[in-house]
Amino acid sequence: MLRRILNEFESATGGISINELGHRLGVERGALEGMIDYLVHKGQLQNDRAAAVAMCQSGGCASCPGSRGCPFVVETPRAFSIVPKNSD
Amino acid sequence: MSSHAMAYARKVTLVDYGREVENEIGKLGEIIESNSVLTTRYNPRWLAIKLLEEDSDIVAKLERMVLSGSLLTEAQRSIAHLREVYGDDVDTIIADRRYGWINGLVRETVRRTDVDRQTLSDKIDKIVTNRVLGIPIFLALMWAVFKITTDVAGPYLDWVDGVIGGPLTNWVVAILGAIGLGGSWVESLFVDGIIAGVGGVLVFVPVMMSLYLALAVLEDSGYMARAAFVMDRLMHALGLHGKSFLPMIVGFGCTVPAFYATRTLANRKDRILTALLVPFMSCGARLPVYVLFASIFFPGNSGAVIFWLYMLGIVTAIVLGIILKNTVFKSKEQSPFVMELPPYRMPTLKGIWFHVCERTGAFVRKAWTIIMVTSILIWALLAIPVGGEGSFADTDVADSAFAAVSGGIAPALKPLGFGDWQASGALVTGFVAKEVVVGTMAQVYDVEEAEEEEAEPTTFFEDMGEIVTSFIGATVDTIKSIPLIVGINLFEDEAEEEPTDLMAAVREGFETASGGHGALASVAFMVFVLIYTPCMVAIAAERHELGDKWTLVSVFGQLALAWLMALVIFQGGKLLGLG
Repeated sequence: MLRRILNEFESATGGISINELGHRLGVERGALEGMIDYLVHKGQLQNDRAAAVAMCQSGGCASCPGSRGCPFVVETPRAFSIVPKNSD
Repeated sequence: MSSHAMAYARKVTLVDYGREVENEIGKLGEIIESNSVLTTRYNPRWLAIKLLEEDSDIVAKLERMVLSGSLLTEAQRSIAHLREVYGDDVDTIIADRRYGWINGLVRETVRRTDVDRQTLSDKIDKIVTNRVLGIPIFLALMWAVFKITTDVAGPYLDWVDGVIGGPLTNWVVAILGAIGLGGSWVESLFVDGIIAGVGGVLVFVPVMMSLYLALAVLEDSGYMARAAFVMDRLMHALGLHGKSFLPMIVGFGCTVPAFYATRTLANRKDRILTALLVPFMSCGARLPVYVLFASIFFPGNSGAVIFWLYMLGIVTAIVLGIILKNTVFKSKEQSPFVMELPPYRMPTLKGIWFHVCERTGAFVRKAWTIIMVTSILIWALLAIPVGGEGSFADTDVADSAFAAVSGGIAPALKPLGFGDWQASGALVTGFVAKEVVVGTMAQVYDVEEAEEEEAEPTTFFEDMGEIVTSFIGATVDTIKSIPLIVGINLFEDEAEEEPTDLMAAVREGFETASGGHGALASVAFMVFVLIYTPCMVAIAAERHELGDKWTLVSVFGQLALAWLMALVIFQGGKLLGLG
């Protein structure tokens, strides 16, 4: 089952929604989210939104509250992608 | 677990983990069964599975127990064997089997009708993320956002401007006069430096609050996820990397975190390309500039003007992205990804208010720190006489050090229609923070006008009364402004509002510098602000992510593109007889 999810990620040509992925795999959304979270935990998928909003370490602008997160970051949806094997 | 329950559980096998895994579970189970200490505490099958999963808690507990050494050694041997057989971690194999079992169970036992399957969110998404309707809906919502930030926030903007320019300035002058500093350079610093500079930015707090309010509603309702989905599909259709949408969406709030967000792209070419395009997503800091100029030169259509500026930024990013993707950054690699579309929900007033206060607070903090320091520096440069008559803080601004430095750059901007020292100086200070452009204009233009005013003295209580009554008036006007979003005008008379001194001074300055084509020059100016280099903090973030070479390419590339686009707009508009 987890392998099927990774196979769907690898064969997709762009972005798809979790609903659509669940429909393709015939898996309930709740179970699918749990499996995706597991794969993130195992380091085979990455949570792009968490990575995107956590990256700002500037501390340079006066509004930077440091660890609390930049208030100007617009809320984006959770997005997951395969962790690249050899990212450059 | 009681011994009876444990005995029952031993006989029940719910999940089959496959022949190889079950063999290893069986081997470990036999070793566990031979250890009475272990069997009184743990179900043998459960413990065997935990060992194969390398559960750290269980392993730590067993390591502290006597007579478990051979069990742990055997578990490691089993793990190595299974890893060799499956080519994957054992806990992943086990989890995979569990989820497969769960999925099978659900499919066997849960019956859903087609109606149940489709929730309300799904029905709405059929329209909102539709291939044909998705983009128009997104554009319509963005248009509504900018109508709200201009039309509805307008009365409160005027109120704040009146309070800062009126009672607040009067009180500061009175206090300084009372301590013997009236008419001194200290008064000039406070009035023409801090109040003009910082106040010139704080005037736009109602506008920013309106923008943050609209954004909070879109975020909390769940629509922003759909907007990202629609944008991703568009970018993918144009051959651009779909995952670039995340940093670009972030860029609408602030360019600094948007640069860091490019790290989510695995391919370096895609990261650089996205980072080069992110600055064209107009950040919130540029909004006060747009509002000021749109209000001056396009008072009835300022919301539409600002909407089209944002669209121009997006279109510029897309066109440039297509060109670069097919030339310098050719890459066929497309990382697939899955995006969550959370269920729609009704935003709560508390949640919206929290987001509005958090962002507005950050905006005001920025004004009281970076912008105040910059305002003081600009005041100092305006106060230093160069080549003309006068002394420190008592000189014509046109003869100041600021005017001398800015005047050196002005000729380069003359073909764009705003080649005077005031506009060029304001653009230079925009490198500190884009809001400073507005603060600088309040200092370089308003300074001249303020000297001619002779306000009647008022008492503190008269001032407070005026603040309260004008706030009530602004609130009533704000409520009456809401129908303006859909084109319904509830204001009784159509008479144009009296422009402020700053607005009048900016209009006169642009009309003069452009040879009578002030409106056209203002459009060119706003486009220049949209496209040219972001603030110094953003440049530092860009350098951190891209290195020196690509940062220089980006900085000078944006300056050149801004100059070209402003030139086309101004000179092309003149040729066509516009503005």
